[in-house]
Amino acid sequence: MSHKEHFKVAIIGGGPAGIGVAVGLAKHGINSVVLIERRKQLGGTPLDYRKKAGSVPTFIEWTRARMVFGEELAQRMIQRLTSTNTNIKLCTHVTKVYPLEKKLSLLSPKGLQEITADAIVLAAGAREQTSSEKGWLAGTRTARTGFTRHITSWLDRHNLLPTRKPLIVGSDLIAYSAAAKLRAAGSHEPVMINQRQRPIANLFERLFFRRWTSPNWKGGVAAINLSGDSTMINANSEDKSNCDCSGDAIIFSGNLVPNTELALMAGMAVESPSRRLKISHGQSLNTPGWFAAGNVLGGFHGAQWCYFNGKRLAKKLKQYLTKNATV
Amino acid sequence: MELFGTWQPNIRGKLFYNWPLGSCEESLRFENTEQLGTEPYDVVIVGAGVIGCGLAYKLSLYQLKVLLVDRLHDVGEGTSKANSALIHSGYDAEPGTLESELLYEAEIEWPDLASRLKIPIDPIGGIMMAVNREQENQLSSAEKNAHANRATNVHVLSAKEIRELEPNASKNVLGGLLVPGESVGDPFITSIAYAEVALTNGVDILLGTNISNVEIDRTSAAPIHHIISSDNHRIATRRIVNAAGLGGRHFADRYGGSKFDINPRRGQFALLDKSARSLIQHILLPVPTAHTKGVLVSPTIFGNVIVGPTAEDLPLDDPAATHTTTEGISKVMEGGSKLVKGLNKQPIITTYSGARCACKQGSYVIRYNDGGKGIVTLTGVRSTGLTASVSLASHLINGLSKEVGLELSPDKAAVNARPKSAWPGWWNRPFEGESSSAREDHGCMACYCESISIGEIVDSMNSPLRPRTMDSLKRRTRALMGRCQGFDCQVQIAEIISDRTGIEISKITKNGPGSELVASNQAEGLK
Repeated sequence: MSHKEHFKVAIIGGGPAGIGVAVGLAKHGINSVVLIERRKQLGGTPLDYRKKAGSVPTFIEWTRARMVFGEELAQRMIQRLTSTNTNIKLCTHVTKVYPLEKKLSLLSPKGLQEITADAIVLAAGAREQTSSEKGWLAGTRTARTGFTRHITSWLDRHNLLPTRKPLIVGSDLIAYSAAAKLRAAGSHEPVMINQRQRPIANLFERLFFRRWTSPNWKGGVAAINLSGDSTMINANSEDKSNCDCSGDAIIFSGNLVPNTELALMAGMAVESPSRRLKISHGQSLNTPGWFAAGNVLGGFHGAQWCYFNGKRLAKKLKQYLTKNATV
Repeated sequence: MELFGTWQPNIRGKLFYNWPLGSCEESLRFENTEQLGTEPYDVVIVGAGVIGCGLAYKLSLYQLKVLLVDRLHDVGEGTSKANSALIHSGYDAEPGTLESELLYEAEIEWPDLASRLKIPIDPIGGIMMAVNREQENQLSSAEKNAHANRATNVHVLSAKEIRELEPNASKNVLGGLLVPGESVGDPFITSIAYAEVALTNGVDILLGTNISNVEIDRTSAAPIHHIISSDNHRIATRRIVNAAGLGGRHFADRYGGSKFDINPRRGQFALLDKSARSLIQHILLPVPTAHTKGVLVSPTIFGNVIVGPTAEDLPLDDPAATHTTTEGISKVMEGGSKLVKGLNKQPIITTYSGARCACKQGSYVIRYNDGGKGIVTLTGVRSTGLTASVSLASHLINGLSKEVGLELSPDKAAVNARPKSAWPGWWNRPFEGESSSAREDHGCMACYCESISIGEIVDSMNSPLRPRTMDSLKRRTRALMGRCQGFDCQVQIAEIISDRTGIEISKITKNGPGSELVASNQAEGLK
């Protein structure tokens, strides 16, 4: 184990929220900040949405009132970060959390390392809800079961169409963007299977995607039984919704679940089974010196919202650090 | 760290996959029977579940030419991968039966087996819990039964004693039975470890090959039979062991084996997140009925909790035998909640279903010279198969030598262990403890939920059975098995397989040909 490093602030997660915190802290003159990212690049989820001819821009850039590719947003955020002197640790995984000591064990290709900080920010983002977490789908586990993240990876990284006849479970903006991306790349019109009667995405949002897709809506489904083999999946409900459709892949889209595993591991308060963090006030967790920013707070927010949320938190962090320095 | 690569040159058996071209490296591809040599096999084992692999492992310690063949693309792909993963002590078997005997021997053999073959097990012990008066009255007879099975350390507990051992036991628990001999194990690694040692010692392994017919030699005194695959490969052998589990009925029809009736008894399980692990300390068992052992709540060796199984008898060949149902899962969660409070608040990570091979003629039915000289039928292996795999193999070898004239002379060159490097990374972390020679890619994570590195996946791909599917790597490394169910790592792992083998990424499969992760090749709409 190498020597212990100490920072004023450690940020876990190098997506929009984490970058926002780092940029905000630099603006407030706080140096000695470390940004920890487990992937090989900064940028988080938006970075996976590559700018490609023929593809669909699915991110809203509020400040310029337009739709852009996630990659463009991520690049601009990363650019702002490069003008700060934030210490960036890529390919670095937090393996242990010591909440009271504000200590983290990190694993990277260089090996294990421990760091401490005066304040720690969880900006770990969120992931899409799994089939079991939904609890109303049963039957077989087919080969082509995936998430929107997989769709973007296959399409944007490999130029492969992962499904010709998609079944999408979900109805928020993420689900509609997945449908639009698949349609633009050459799939059939997706079927959207949901327990809800009406989609989560509002009329305005659905109208935007209308240019590419108007999914075949199957709402009000109580329970679904999946059958078939690896290449053909049948989804049937035995209730009055009479959902009876088939496809060659099932995509679980949206319904974000916050990545609160580290908080859970540290024994901090996390609601079960929603996995939401219990927040004491604002963005402070109920362990002193711990904060959260972005989609880890729960719900679903766009990349820019997360970035500005992170920047706002930086101000509070400054207050916290000044207060604790005088004590 | 001692890498799998160092183990490679000593492998004496041949390994082939019956894949379409392009789905695996050419060196692993099965094209014709000449690759297996011209001599007939001494024994062909049909079915590479935990029983078939266990038998192959023990046969590999003798000077014999053995072939292990399975229609699926990894060992332990069927019921062997979907069960409660308990290493039973046999306290509740019917005394005097073969099952009781096998479990008694297995309990003695397991600790040493696990350390030699590097199979993770944890002897945490079990508690049988009575939740009503009727069940409470059964406890003393269960205790007597356990003592008759030589499990003398089993004894009755009061409700108060249970609450001291299990603070989260439900209010309904009136009393119980402490069963110190029960352990949890790794069901995946067990089959894999057996097969790896067997392969090292010269057993040939042929995967992805469905044996659809048999030609029985009824004329010669020392008959040579042929097994025939559905793609018309003929393989000569002196003896055949039918260890095909639920596929065993149809196979037995091909060689005219005597009558037995089997059907899948479906068992559904819910796997809870690691946050549930702190709720329980032991394997918590309900009081069994004549039909089933009931819904248990058990820690897994991986640090999760499983709840299940159901026991639903389905017709033979019903594809739903491995399906889950929403009713089944709510039933097991309800059953589990009778034993542990707060259980139904815990998030379910995944659900699965396994099919026990229920046989009307009893459990552990073994028939020698069944339908032809040298043909052995084995069926009716149910819940205790994982545990008994090791002792059943010895029992079968004994029978093979007595009943079908198998000559046994020990192979002095045989190894009876796996190297230290075979411990899975989640059990023996590359960067922790004594293994200090971890590589850079052991510090670069592929699966964040379970902290599984790219290096561990690469090591696993280099292991003797050369796993090339997502599921086979999942069972070996635990990547894809965490709470996000592959959200973060699925595509990345496919990329690693493709990068290291040259297999085109669109040909990477979940569990063999036909289960490609992507449906079509090019996204025409994108430029």
